[in-house]
Amino acid sequence: MVRSAANARGGPRERDETDAARDEQSSGSEPSGGESSDDPGPPALSIEGLTKRFGEGDDAVLAVDDVSLTIERGSVVGLLGPNGAGKTTLIKCALGIVVPDAGSVRVFGNDVREGRRAAYADVDAMLEGARNDYWRLTVRENLRYFATISGVDPDSVAARHDRLLDRLDLADKADTPVRDLSRGMKQKVSLASVLAGGAELVFLDEPTLGLDVESARTLRAELRRLAAEEGLTIVVSSHDMTTIEAVCDRVVMLSNGRIVADDGVEALLGAAASDAVRVASPDLTEEAVAGLRERFEVVGVDREATPPAVTVAAGGDRLYDLTDALRAAGVTVSDIRTVQPDLEEVFLERTGSVPGAVGSGLGGASR
Amino acid sequence: MSAETPRPGPRDGADEAARTDDTAATRPGIDDQPRPATYYHLARAVLYREYLIFVRYPANAIGGIVVSLFFFGALFLGGQLLAGQALTDSIEGIVVGYFLWTLSVGAYSSVSNDIGSEVQWGTLERHITTPFGFAPVALLKGVAKVVRTFLTSAVILAVMLVVTGTRLSLAPVTVVAVAGLSIVSVLGLGFAAGGVTVLYKRIGNWLNLLQFGFVGLISAPVFDLPWTRVLPLAHGSAMLQRAMVDGVRLWEFPIADLALLVAVAVGYLLGGYLVFQLATGRARRLGVLGDY
Repeated sequence: MVRSAANARGGPRERDETDAARDEQSSGSEPSGGESSDDPGPPALSIEGLTKRFGEGDDAVLAVDDVSLTIERGSVVGLLGPNGAGKTTLIKCALGIVVPDAGSVRVFGNDVREGRRAAYADVDAMLEGARNDYWRLTVRENLRYFATISGVDPDSVAARHDRLLDRLDLADKADTPVRDLSRGMKQKVSLASVLAGGAELVFLDEPTLGLDVESARTLRAELRRLAAEEGLTIVVSSHDMTTIEAVCDRVVMLSNGRIVADDGVEALLGAAASDAVRVASPDLTEEAVAGLRERFEVVGVDREATPPAVTVAAGGDRLYDLTDALRAAGVTVSDIRTVQPDLEEVFLERTGSVPGAVGSGLGGASR
Repeated sequence: MSAETPRPGPRDGADEAARTDDTAATRPGIDDQPRPATYYHLARAVLYREYLIFVRYPANAIGGIVVSLFFFGALFLGGQLLAGQALTDSIEGIVVGYFLWTLSVGAYSSVSNDIGSEVQWGTLERHITTPFGFAPVALLKGVAKVVRTFLTSAVILAVMLVVTGTRLSLAPVTVVAVAGLSIVSVLGLGFAAGGVTVLYKRIGNWLNLLQFGFVGLISAPVFDLPWTRVLPLAHGSAMLQRAMVDGVRLWEFPIADLALLVAVAVGYLLGGYLVFQLATGRARRLGVLGDY
């Protein structure tokens, strides 16, 4: 999951000198079995045994239940889960906005309990439902302000801000108060202000929420580009499967405060692809479907479709058995195709619920 | 502190390669080599933001001045009708007390409301995850609010003096020092109220009613009840009366009076700040810091 750009770039500020020294040492001598110059260093985020409970007694809600998670530098990770799954709490615990009951959080190797300032020096977040920046200031003034509070002299990154504004198509609006911009533009300003201080680990909570289709598409494209070009480590929480599939290379699915799936997007889709085949035919009577159930695993039946359709786990060689069975049952096939699963189906399979249908986002127990 | 440690180098390798050396040479300070921000940079950023909002959106300040003058006009004219000469005899004290009250209300409400707004906007949460944290930002904002309040209250004082024909001693150093230290204690109350608002969002509007209680503190009988001097505003108010009405200069006050003025200011500021920190800490444990 580690992108090469992440290794090429400097790590968080606390590591610069030691990394440089190590690299110099490595380049001048044979590695002695220890760390090499290619060592990516500690992960961007390492969570161990994180637990958070809200309330007491019978009303208590276990929002995060002994979650451990490691996110390597340069990876783009999507967090998925139904409402109350614990995504918000997990992210806010990682950010120090919520104090966990148990467990540890290390950011770029720094334990947040031992020094919040050092740990969060290269972290920023765009949280859902919040303005995140100052609407009465102009776009550029926001970038300068948030760069400063992130620990960077804004004059020293003025050129970077110009590039950022160019990339996000905000250059023409640089001196416009944020309150005068459209929703999509405001969202981009939030993103720009999060990146203004050079954060290397960025949390984006529902970044496309409330955007129209075109704006959401543009923002997804920008996220992809920024992730690739800047080598950022990005944690995206969204109920929008399109965003997750388009932007992330790894998905962590949460349900009831626990991780139920954690894998690459393609691996998850590949595993779910299994061998489902969708057959459509006007001859798919209940009796015919019952006959199929005796020999195959029927994943789903859609009687509302025209013609009715049935989805059967019968890939590979089993497909021949299925066609034989259909012929024997007198079913004339109108359409047959392998089912291309999407993340929503994977999610449904793992959690038994659909994130979009239950709100999701970061509307977890802590909100 | 971490802000003093060096930042990582530029991350845009391609862009950096494309840039010519002379660009960096001809634009010193804009070389895209991130330099750490110090508390100086933080102070500059926070104070500049407050300045921009003050000059860019003057309606709030002007509105506050108009409302304050309206209330004073009603108080003065109504008082003349009801009390006649008795009011005229005490008008100097009323002007000074009203001046201090506008200062106090400005400092208190701007700080407590500002913290509420930061929670609502989600910007307080963002500050929590920065190397500086919200604490120094909040203190710097408090300084900005005091300066801003002094500017608006100075306008109110000038109009009051013209309308009533009153003459007061306006030694700048004495007035600014005594009035400033007096309202620092109120600033502490503002932080405490802001902290309580972070925990219990809906209580914020009710806490604004506290500013009417400042009238009682400003007119506290510090000579009859000396213990009231440790309350916010009370001792400072008595000193400001002596400074502006009797013309006592800062260095002419007994050292014990000055020490108590400073002690009350620092005590309430630290106390209020402690309440704010405890409240935000509890909000983080309860997971309600960003809720609104």
